[in-house]
Amino acid sequence: MGIIDVNHLSKQYFIAKRQEGMWGAVRSLFHREYITKTAVEDVSFSIEAGEMVGYIGPNGAGKSTTIKMLTGILVPSAGDVTVGGLVPYRERQKNARQIGVVFGQRSQLWWDLPTIESFELLKQVYAISDQQYRKNMDTFTEILRLDEFYQTPVRQLSLGQRMRADIAASLLHDPAILFLDEPTIGLDVVAKERMRTFIQEMNQERGITVILTTHDMADIERLCKRMILIDQGRVMYDGGLSKIRDRFGKSRILIVDLEKDTQLQVQGAELIRSEGNRKWLRFNREEITAAQLIQQVSIQADIQDLSLEEPEIDSIIRQMYEEGLSVG
Amino acid sequence: MRQLRLYLEFSRKAFQRSAAYRFDAWTRLFSNVIFLFMWGFIWFALYSGKGDVEGVSFESMLSYIVVSQMLQGVHGAGTPLWEIQERVRTGDIAMEMMRPYDYPTRSLFSDFGNIAFHFLTAVLPLYVVLFALFDLQIPTSMSQWILFLLSAVLGYLIRYSVELTFGLLTFWLMETGGVEDIFYFSISLFSGSVIPLWFFPDWLETLAYFLPFQGIFFVPNSIFVGQLTGQALIEAMLMQGIWLVVSYVILRWVWSRAALKIVVQGG
Repeated sequence: MGIIDVNHLSKQYFIAKRQEGMWGAVRSLFHREYITKTAVEDVSFSIEAGEMVGYIGPNGAGKSTTIKMLTGILVPSAGDVTVGGLVPYRERQKNARQIGVVFGQRSQLWWDLPTIESFELLKQVYAISDQQYRKNMDTFTEILRLDEFYQTPVRQLSLGQRMRADIAASLLHDPAILFLDEPTIGLDVVAKERMRTFIQEMNQERGITVILTTHDMADIERLCKRMILIDQGRVMYDGGLSKIRDRFGKSRILIVDLEKDTQLQVQGAELIRSEGNRKWLRFNREEITAAQLIQQVSIQADIQDLSLEEPEIDSIIRQMYEEGLSVG
Repeated sequence: MRQLRLYLEFSRKAFQRSAAYRFDAWTRLFSNVIFLFMWGFIWFALYSGKGDVEGVSFESMLSYIVVSQMLQGVHGAGTPLWEIQERVRTGDIAMEMMRPYDYPTRSLFSDFGNIAFHFLTAVLPLYVVLFALFDLQIPTSMSQWILFLLSAVLGYLIRYSVELTFGLLTFWLMETGGVEDIFYFSISLFSGSVIPLWFFPDWLETLAYFLPFQGIFFVPNSIFVGQLTGQALIEAMLMQGIWLVVSYVILRWVWSRAALKIVVQGG
């Protein structure tokens, strides 16, 4: 039994179907049809205390829905969830005391209050002792430089500052488990790095179990040994990061803008997309170097501009489909 | 005890927050005064050339309107219906549900903070001046004051429970314009906020008597101007107490259903 256990978890939403036209609108007053949308389907995993797990997948894959069920604000349609021995939606308030949550897209702080007052309010909310509060505030302030914006109302903080405030707020009550939903979204390189360092420190020094959803592969590479990959509500992969990286991390995409539209014949690379003069070529960097590929292309056509891309999670997932990888 | 401290902290923070939006308090007070004059003149016109109507003098009627506007000014500082709708629509309700407290209680205590600020800085000064300037009826004994205050608090809690219950329907409907209209219509007619129930036709008065709304403004207003005394007063306040219990039980039931029902929008 892990600190988090998820067994055959499913969540369906019912969405009212919009009927077309005026007549449809009138009809829908009396009779409504619903479409069932499955956000999470038969998901199972177990996470041990102290682990840091990347929970990833493309937009709409069901990541946030899973997190919401783990925090107790959504009720599962089927299956079981236990977090620290509790069933989250049944004992929501009790569960709230053992978890910390950060949503990158949404602040949990009170908009109108100066940042420091939000912290003081949380101190009361979680009945945090003076000593514990002091200790945590000192640590967080030192790493996250919260003192730069103590007196600023939350609504006036920059995104980077707000995220720093939010993650500090989520850890004030020393939760055993931390849920991070896209904690680095929209942050600049420096802020991202600071955030990652902080998360890592909290995991290593305090032994906090972390579940992290992200679109940024660098977050995962930097922080997680294990990742759970989901798409269309189903677990596609659960395991070490290295396996995925070995398999897919070597692929690169070369994007070239040619002077005029030309049929390219290249060896060791695959034309995956073509829009007029712009071509996308995927290649494996162990089989061919970028330089060799560019040389091949430049023989056939004049290159006006080019760029190299590392694969993003979305494209890794797409690739997994194409190549039919189903590593258990 | 620790729980109470937690909720009181929300009152304190709401009080501070109100102070940051002083202009809001002044504009609300301004519209409150406009309505006060409007209703004052309407009743003045209706009473012109008449002495007592239904045994109520113009002086009593005017006092009724003034105290009613005062209570409405207090009530206006907290709007649980709008707040819950906004939170459900934006999905911020998720944040509230992830906290180790009870949302309806915390929201009530936040409103206490808003009301305290609004009452102390705007409503109280204005109405002290009004009652001093005009020849209006005020309670003549300490016990009448105490009964009025108690009844006003009961009335506030009834409105809070009913209004939040209506607001919670957002969880099922998402668009609640119609529900809002029903609530605001019912409260403006049946609560006696502008027309005292004693002017209602008999059948409407009977209907109003069996609804929770009359306990919100009509009962405290009537106690204030001395229209409700003795046995009838005791009965009316007992009725308020019963309605508070009933509306609170309904609120808790709807809330527990809503909490299970929750579908967070977006995010």
